[in-house]
Amino acid sequence: MSRYIATRAIRGANALVSEAEAMLSQALKERGNNTSVSFPNTAYYLPVIFGMTGREIETLGQLEASLAHARKLLHPVPSDKQWTPYLGETLDSGMATLIAAETIEAIRYIYGLQPERMPGVELAGATAFTSPDADSAKEGASNGHLNGAIDDIQLRTWGIQLVDGRMPGFAAIVGCAKTNEAAVQIIRELQRRNILTFLCGNVNGRSIIDQLNEEGVELGYDTYTVPFGTDTLSAIYALGFATRSALTFGGMKGGQAREILDYNRDRVFAFVLALGEVDDLKYAAAAGAINFGFPVIADTVIPQILPTGITTYEHVVSMPWNEIDGGDDLEKAEKLVQKCIEVRGLKVQVSDVPVPVPYGSAFEGEVVRKADLRIEFGGRNSRCFEFLRMAKLDDITDGKVEVIGPDFSEVAEQGSMDMGIVIDVAGRQMESDFEPVLERQIHYFVNGASGIQHVGQRDITWIRLSAKAAEAGFDLEDFGKILHARFHSDFGAIVDKVAITIYTNPDQVGELLEEARETYDFRNKRLADLTDDAVDVFYSCTLCQSFAPNHVCVVSPERLGLCGAYNWLDCKASYNINPTGPNQPIKVGRVIDADRGYWEGTNDYAKAGSHGVVEELAMYSIMENPMTACGCFECIVMLIPEANGVMVVSREDTSITPAGMTFSTLAGMAGGGIQTPGVMGVGKFYLASPKFISADGGFPRVVWMSSVLKESMAAELQIVAEREGDAKLIDRIADERSVTSVEELLPWMEEHQHPALAMDPIF
Amino acid sequence: MSIEIPKDKWPGAVQTVTLGATAEQGGTRTKVVTIGGEQTLPFMHFESETPNRPVIAMEMSSSRPGGWSQVLQDTWGDVLDDPAKWAQACEQAGAELIVLMFGLTDADDNPITPDFAVQTVKAVLEATGLPLVVLGPGQVDIDNAILVPIADATKGERLVLGLCEEGNYRTIVAAAMANDHLVLGRTPMDVNLAKQLNILMTDMGLPRDRIIMDPTTGALGYGIEYGYSVMERLRLAALQGDAMTQLPLMVNPGFESWKTKESKVGEGVPDAWGDWAERGVHWETVTAVSLIEAGADVVVLRHPDSLTRVKESIDELMAAEPV
Amino acid sequence: MALSGIQIYKMLPQTNCKECGFPTCLAFSMKLAAKQVELGDCPYVTDESKQQLAESSAPPIRLITLKGKDAEVAVGNEVVLFRHEKKFVNRPGVLIRVADTDEKETITAKVEAATAYIVDYVGLDLKLDGFAVEAASGDAATFTAAVDAVRKSSNLPLILVGNDPAVIEAGLTVLDGEKPLIMGANAENWEAMADLAKKAETALGVEAGTLEELAELTEKIQGKGVEDMVLHPTGQGMSSSLALQTQIRRLALKNFRPLGYPTIAFAGSGGNPAKEATLAAHSICKYAGFVVLDTFSPELVYSVLVLRENIFTDPQKPIQVLPAIYEINDPKPDDPVLVTTNFSITYFSVANEVEGSGLPAWLVVADAEGMSVLTAWAAGKFDAESIAKAVKQFGVGDKVSKKVIVLPGHVAVLSGELEEELPDWEIRVGPREAVDLPGYMKSALT
Repeated sequence: MSRYIATRAIRGANALVSEAEAMLSQALKERGNNTSVSFPNTAYYLPVIFGMTGREIETLGQLEASLAHARKLLHPVPSDKQWTPYLGETLDSGMATLIAAETIEAIRYIYGLQPERMPGVELAGATAFTSPDADSAKEGASNGHLNGAIDDIQLRTWGIQLVDGRMPGFAAIVGCAKTNEAAVQIIRELQRRNILTFLCGNVNGRSIIDQLNEEGVELGYDTYTVPFGTDTLSAIYALGFATRSALTFGGMKGGQAREILDYNRDRVFAFVLALGEVDDLKYAAAAGAINFGFPVIADTVIPQILPTGITTYEHVVSMPWNEIDGGDDLEKAEKLVQKCIEVRGLKVQVSDVPVPVPYGSAFEGEVVRKADLRIEFGGRNSRCFEFLRMAKLDDITDGKVEVIGPDFSEVAEQGSMDMGIVIDVAGRQMESDFEPVLERQIHYFVNGASGIQHVGQRDITWIRLSAKAAEAGFDLEDFGKILHARFHSDFGAIVDKVAITIYTNPDQVGELLEEARETYDFRNKRLADLTDDAVDVFYSCTLCQSFAPNHVCVVSPERLGLCGAYNWLDCKASYNINPTGPNQPIKVGRVIDADRGYWEGTNDYAKAGSHGVVEELAMYSIMENPMTACGCFECIVMLIPEANGVMVVSREDTSITPAGMTFSTLAGMAGGGIQTPGVMGVGKFYLASPKFISADGGFPRVVWMSSVLKESMAAELQIVAEREGDAKLIDRIADERSVTSVEELLPWMEEHQHPALAMDPIF
Repeated sequence: MSIEIPKDKWPGAVQTVTLGATAEQGGTRTKVVTIGGEQTLPFMHFESETPNRPVIAMEMSSSRPGGWSQVLQDTWGDVLDDPAKWAQACEQAGAELIVLMFGLTDADDNPITPDFAVQTVKAVLEATGLPLVVLGPGQVDIDNAILVPIADATKGERLVLGLCEEGNYRTIVAAAMANDHLVLGRTPMDVNLAKQLNILMTDMGLPRDRIIMDPTTGALGYGIEYGYSVMERLRLAALQGDAMTQLPLMVNPGFESWKTKESKVGEGVPDAWGDWAERGVHWETVTAVSLIEAGADVVVLRHPDSLTRVKESIDELMAAEPV
Repeated sequence: MALSGIQIYKMLPQTNCKECGFPTCLAFSMKLAAKQVELGDCPYVTDESKQQLAESSAPPIRLITLKGKDAEVAVGNEVVLFRHEKKFVNRPGVLIRVADTDEKETITAKVEAATAYIVDYVGLDLKLDGFAVEAASGDAATFTAAVDAVRKSSNLPLILVGNDPAVIEAGLTVLDGEKPLIMGANAENWEAMADLAKKAETALGVEAGTLEELAELTEKIQGKGVEDMVLHPTGQGMSSSLALQTQIRRLALKNFRPLGYPTIAFAGSGGNPAKEATLAAHSICKYAGFVVLDTFSPELVYSVLVLRENIFTDPQKPIQVLPAIYEINDPKPDDPVLVTTNFSITYFSVANEVEGSGLPAWLVVADAEGMSVLTAWAAGKFDAESIAKAVKQFGVGDKVSKKVIVLPGHVAVLSGELEEELPDWEIRVGPREAVDLPGYMKSALT
C-alpha cells in the first residue's frame, strides 16, 4: 500500500467523519431526534450503513451510533517515519468515509438538498421523489435536478442484469474529464459496451455532469448514464446500489458485511474512474470502493497500488490522459475504458462474427473444389501457417486486425499465395501452455465461414477460398475478424485480448515461418518434457459418464485420455474455461507406489468419481487396478498370458486378434467403467509414453499390434524402439497380417526374437 | 433360520424443500407442499422413514394448449380456455401442486406479454390455494421477459420458477432470490450436467432449499430407461453424500407420455395398441409409477385418471408396515 | 472379494480348448469374473479349482427356464441391483392368468387372443410369454380340463398354480415333455410338492410371507433334490413387495444361496386393469422374474411389454431401430430427405418432431450401431460413407424427385465428403437439435 495514498485517505476520512458529526448535531438541534431519515423508494434504509452494520436507520437520532462506529474505524495519519503496509487502516478509513458520506447525504435529503438541483437538466428516467419545493414537483420528477439515490425499482431492473451478465458491470465516474470531448467519448465507449455509468464529483467546481450536459448528452435511467450529484459524496449512491444488489440478489442480510463485500468483488463488475485531480476526500472514498473490490483507475498521475488482494486484480491504477497512446480523444477514451475493463476483469461479449459470408457450424464440412476456387493458401503451390502466441496485455490492442503485404486481388483465379496468420492472445488467465490448445481451434473457427475450407494446422495449414466467398467480399482481414470473435466467445474465460496479423509478403512469411517452427519445436519438446513427475496435478475427465456412469479418466501428462481427444493440457485449459465442467484438477498428493502409479489423490478421486466402484487406480499397470474405460477408447490392450505380453488392437482393425476376439467383442469386456485386470482401453499415443504399462514391463510387452497402428504411428513408435534400445523392436511385434491366433503367435515371437519371451513372467 | 437383512446406511440425505407459502409465511397459499428429506432409496421403510411422500402435480397452460391429445381435450373440456377454472379443476381432481406452463402465444395467437403473464399467474393464484410452479415457454428471451415480472409481482409466494437451464439460469435465479421464490433447473438426462447446473445456481447464492431439479426423462417407449437410470444415479449420489445432487427430483411424465404417438393418435394405429383413451392413461401411469420407483419427488401429470391411479400407488408405497 | 479374471485364469487348465464357447481360457475367466457364465461350462476344471472358485462359480440368481410346447422363457441370472451398474439380464416373463373355474370358452378365447398377441416396438416383436393356470376349483378333473384347454389354444410355457399336489399332478399329465413351473410349495405341502417337482422335472414355486420362511423352504426343498425354484414372497401391498423383492435381490447378490432364485409377482387386482398396470410396472422395475397379469387387454399388455423392453435394455447397447427409410406424414417425391442414426431415442426425437409439425418428409435412418449422432460420428459409425450407403441401399433416389438431403447439424463437417459420395444430391445442413427441425423445415426447405 502506498503510504501516500494511505495518508491522504486516512486524512480525508478523518475530515469527513468530523464534518458528518458536525452536520448531524446541527440537524438534531434543528429538526430533532425523531425526524425520519430515508432515501427515496427503498426498503433498505440507508443501504451502506444497513448492509455493513445491520443498523436499520429510520430517524436522525439513530445516526449518532452509526457515526460513532465510523469514528472507531478511523486511524491516525501515518507519521513520516513509520513504514507499515497501512492496508487495513486505509480500508477501515474507507469504510468510515462511506458511513459518513451516507449520513451526510441522508441529512441533505431532509434539508431538500438532495437530489441536487441543477437548473436546465432534464433526465430521461429518474428516481421519483417528493420535492419539498412545490415548483419542481410541477416540473415532474425528471426536471431541474440530478438523480440522487437510485430507487428499488430501478435497482431490480439493473441488478438482475448485472447478476445475470446481460450488463457487464458499472462504472462510477468521479470528477471531470480533460475536455468535454473526452468526457463524451468516455461515456460513448462505456455505453457501447452496455456498461452502466454513474456520474459524480467535480474538479475545481466543474463536473463531468456539466460537461455532458453542455454537449447535449442525454442522461438518466434510460441511457444507462445516471448523474448522482456534482460532489464526491454522491458517489455513495453507487455503493448503496452495490450493497442493495447483494442484499436483493445475493440473498444477504443487513450486517453481513464480509459476505456483501465478497459478493460485490466476485459478481458485481464495477470500477471507479477518477477523472482529474484526486483530493483527500476522493482518496478516502476510493478506499471505500476498494472494500467492495472495485478498483480505481485514474487519468492523472497518482501512486499505483498494483499488488492484488482486496480487488481481483490491481487496486489503484494510474493512466494519465496525456500519456495515453492515441491520436485523438476517441482513441484515448477507448484505451482508458479498455484499461478499466482489464483491471476489473470484465468480460466483453462478442456475439456476431462480422464477415460478409454466412457463418456457422453448418459450414464446417464444406469442401471448396478446384472449379469453385478463387485462391488457396498453402497446399502444393504456396506456404501457409498459423501461429498463436501469448502476448502481454499491454502490448496488444484487442480486435486489431492488420494485413501486412498485398491482398489477393492480383493473384490469378484459382491461383495461390503465401500467407502467415499470427494470432497474439493476452489474458489474465492465459498461460503459454494454452497456446497449442487454442491454436488447434483455428481449424474449426475458420471452417465455420461459408466458402472457406481449412485443412491441417501449424505449418501444414491449407486454406481454400471459393470464388463465391471472394465475390461476397471476403478478404484477408476477415480471417482475423473470425478469429477475434470466436476466441472471445469460446475462450472468453482465458482470453481478454486478441490481435491478428496476416502476412502475405513471401519474405516475411518465410521469416515468421522460421520463428513459428522454432516455437512448434519448442512446444513439442515441452510436451515431451512434461512428465507425470513434473506436475502435482492430474485432471479428471467425466465427459463419458452419460453412458458409462462410473467411468473416470485420469489424465496425466504421460497418459492422455483413452479417447485420444484430451491430453493433460487440453484438460487444464478446459478446466480454466469451465471450472465446474467435466475436467477437474486432481491433486496427486502423497505417492503410495511410484512404479505402479498409485497416489493418495488419484485413488481418492477414482473412488469418488466412480461412485465407489473403483477403490484403487494404478496409472501404469494393466495387471492390477487398471484404469476403467467408457467405450470411446482408440485401442484395446489385452493380456496374452501364453505370450507373456500384451496385444494392442486398434478401433480401426476389424480382424480377429490372437485373443480370439475382434475389437468389438473385446470392447464389451474393456468398457462399462468396470476394472478388468488384463484388459484396458487406451488412447493410441499412450503407447509411445514411457509410462505405458511401465509397471508391467512397458512397451517391450507388446507382442502383437494392429498394423494400422504400426503404420499411422511409425515415427512415434520408432522413437520408442530406440528408447528401449532396440531399433528393430517394432519389427519383432506381430500383427494381423502374419498372426491371427495365439497358436501362431508364439512361434512367430520365437522366430523374431521378441523380448517378452525373455522377460519376467507378467503374472 | 435367521437372516440378517442387509440395510443401507447412507451418509447423505436429500434436501427438504417447501413449495408455496401461507399468509403467515409471507404468501397467500392455503396449502404448502414439502418434498425431499429422504435418507434412503425410495420407500425403503425398513431402513429409514420416508419423511415426505412423492407429490403429484397437474400441468395446465396459460391458454388452450395446441397439440394436446384429443383424449385430454375431451376429458378436461371447456376449462382449458380458462386458466383459473382449469387450476380449480386440477385441485378438484386431487392435484397437490399446479404446474402452469406458458406457451409462446395467448388464446388469440398473439405473442404473450409480461402483463398477460402476470395477470394469468395472479388469476391462478386466486383460483387455487395450491402452491404453483410457473414455467416459461422455453425461449430464453421470453422466459426472462415474463418470469422476472411474475417473480416481482408474487414476492413471497415461494413459487417455483423455471426452467433454469445452463444458458439462462442467472436471470431466473436472481429473480427468485430477490423475491423469495424457488427455481426448477433442468438438464438433459445427464448426472454431471445436473450437478454442474446445481453448482452454478448455488454459486449465485441461492440456498439449496430453494432448488428442485428436473433431470429430464423420456416417456415409456421413448427413452424412459435413460431418465430412470439418471434419476437412480442422482439419488444414489445424493445418499452417498454428494451435496450437489441432494436436491429433490421433479419430472414430467405427463408431458412426455402425452406427446407420444401412442397417446396422441387414435386412428390408423395397430390393433395391438388397444383402446386409445385407456392406452393414453396407462402410458402416463406406467411412466409415472416407474419414475417414482426411481426416486421422483414430484411427478407432473395431465390426465385426472392417471392422477387417481398414481396416487393409489403412492399410498401403497408409503404404507410403512413392518416386514 | 471377487476374483479377477486373471486370478481365475490361473486356476483354469489354460489349454484354450474352446469347448466352453470362448476362444481362450482368459476370455472365459473374464466372463466368469463378471458372473456372466458358469464354471460348469468348463469341462476340464479340476475339483480343487472348483472348490476355490465356488464364490465365482455361478451367477447369484439361478437361471430358470420354463419350456412350453414350442417356446421357452428364461429368467434369473441377474447380477446387479441397478440397471446402470451393468444391465438387467433376462426380461421377466409376462404371463396371463386363467382360472379353471372360468368357462372353457372364456379360457380358450382369452388364451387364443393372448397367444396371438404381437406388437411391433422399434422393429421388435413383443409377445407374451405364457399362462398361469390356477386350480381355483380344487378339483383335479376340472383343473386338468382347464390345462388341456389352455394347451390346445397355445404352445407357450405354463405355470400351474395350486396348493394341492394331487391336483397339480393331474394337470401335469397334459403337459408332456415340457417344463412348467408349479406353485406353490408352502410350509404345509412343501414335501409333496418337492417330490412332484422332482418327479415331473418342473420348476417349483415357493411361497412364504417372510424371508426366513422362504429360505428355510428352499433349503429343505433343495435337500429333496429340486434345484429350479422360483420365490413368491407373499407380502401385502406395493410397499411390502418392494421391501421383500429388494431384500431378496440384495441377499442373493451377496451369494446367499437360499434366496438365489428369481421371483414371481401376481399383478392381478380383482379385475381392475388400472391397478394391474401400476403393479406390473412396479414389479418390472423392482426385481420380479415373472409377472402374472389377470387381464388380457392390448393397451395394458402393450404398455407393460414396452416397459419391460425399456428397463431391460442394456444401458451400453441402446435400443436400435431398423435402418430403413421411414415415411413421415405421407411424403411426396418432392419432399425433403432427412438423415439420422438408428439409435432409438435419436430416431424418436426426430420422427416425433417432424410428425408433430405435420410436414411431410422422408427419414433415412442409417445404421450407426445404435449410437446417437454425435457419438456415432465420433466413433466413425456415422460418416459420409455410411450415409451414402443407406441412401443407396434404401433406394431413396428412386422415391424422390428433389434430391435434397438434410444432415444433422452436429455432423455439418460431413457435408463435403457426402457431396463426394452422393454427387447428384444437394447436401444441406440442418439444425443440431431435433426440436428445431420443424422451424428449419418451414423456413429453409420450403
